[in-house]
Amino acid sequence: MNYQEYVYMLSDLQNKAPKIFGIPTGTKLDEMFYTVAYDERSGKYVKRPLGGIPYLSVINVTGIPDTGKSVLAEQFAVYQAARNYPVLFVTVESPAHFLYATLKQKATVMGLNFENVEKNMIIVDASQEVELRENLSALLDTMSYAIKKKNTKNVVIDSITGLYEHREVLARQIVRQIFNFLKKWNQTALLVSQKRSSQSSETAEAAGGLAVAHIVDGTIVMDKEVITSKWASTLYRKNIGEVVRTIRIDGCRLAPHSTETYVFEITDTGLIEIKEPLSKIARGGD
Amino acid sequence: MEVIGRPVKEGNIDEIAERIFHESIRILGGLKNLVEYRNLTWLPSLAEAAYVITLKNEAIKTNREIAEYLGITEQTVKKILSAKESKVMEYLKGEGEKEKEHIAGGLAKMAYRAIKEKRDNLRERIEIMEESAKSLGVEWAVHILKSIKGLDFPVEKDALLKRLKGKIMGKPIEEILDSIEYPVESPAQLLHRIREKL
Repeated sequence: MNYQEYVYMLSDLQNKAPKIFGIPTGTKLDEMFYTVAYDERSGKYVKRPLGGIPYLSVINVTGIPDTGKSVLAEQFAVYQAARNYPVLFVTVESPAHFLYATLKQKATVMGLNFENVEKNMIIVDASQEVELRENLSALLDTMSYAIKKKNTKNVVIDSITGLYEHREVLARQIVRQIFNFLKKWNQTALLVSQKRSSQSSETAEAAGGLAVAHIVDGTIVMDKEVITSKWASTLYRKNIGEVVRTIRIDGCRLAPHSTETYVFEITDTGLIEIKEPLSKIARGGD
Repeated sequence: MEVIGRPVKEGNIDEIAERIFHESIRILGGLKNLVEYRNLTWLPSLAEAAYVITLKNEAIKTNREIAEYLGITEQTVKKILSAKESKVMEYLKGEGEKEKEHIAGGLAKMAYRAIKEKRDNLRERIEIMEESAKSLGVEWAVHILKSIKGLDFPVEKDALLKRLKGKIMGKPIEEILDSIEYPVESPAQLLHRIREKL
């Protein structure tokens, strides 16, 4: 092993370091990541919206079932493909023909050109093929074929949990290999992972459990709560029996971000619509 | 929208396992030097170990999955995976531990590491090695395992005849398969029974 290959002077990395900018998701999440810029008028450093998830980041989207993880991932994929940035979508849960119908509907309600989406999206359907789900080497070979074929810039894996659901002992190893693979191929990626309902959403476990969050660049935690008490009804300004959904960025090593928890809705047309910070709603929406 | 529903390069596991096998022999100084090691009973296990190391590191399979895939026991998988690279030469000289899984496992691990660290340069040599291996008759174990991939064990002669063609060390495979006992419970047992008839 040539150990010298792995040692760098900081200055050597100047030309290798990626430029950090936002890859839009088509949601208000794009304003929740920041960049810091010098403002000449005020003479201060100010934060500005990055305009998307950080370029080349691998972000873990996690939450309990029915919190909108797949909706967010699909919305991101459709938005990017419609803007002519090719996307590789690895579906581990939903068969490809069902996914097609969902993506078409999303494009329609988002007012995007589905022809572009069709042209710019390539799907690896691991939901029907056990070899793709259980042989990581076969999956990565297939993904590299798809990335090269379409020259994709973005990858969505829904869900990564499906690749280790009955062998959680391998979770870190699998996620690490996928993370390294995505870095090697210069992809910006959303990895959907499922959180056990027993893992409390405000703890570190919420960031995916199984230490997945330590490997990826950042984690977005999505959560929901059915209003069952007067106290929760007052806090969230919702009626008892209604559902309140929240989203927060749990951490990101590539860009600063909002640390607030935001309330969001899944609209009747099936889109993620991020509203206000929970703190603002609790204060009475000032 | 293009959909890919099948693995694009299914042969990858076989290819890596074969590379490990060849690199292991190279580590020992090539096929010529093998004759220095009088007891070569571990050699068929090397093919097994090459697959175990590949499935563990490349396909990220659990020990149980590897055992099922190869038709060997979980204990054998564990022995191969727990083999110490540093002790391989001691094993080969007959010092200390002598279990064939430990020798094969240790060698396969060393070979895998060499491949990953790109110290093997094996692609250039693979054809020469294959020719040499054929002439010394030690190549057959890898080819047998490759040909029976996916076969459900226990297996009868007819199923094996469909997969295995040609000759092993000059003997027609049909003739060898006629002379072994059935059913064959696992790939490991198949290799063992074939070796007895060579």
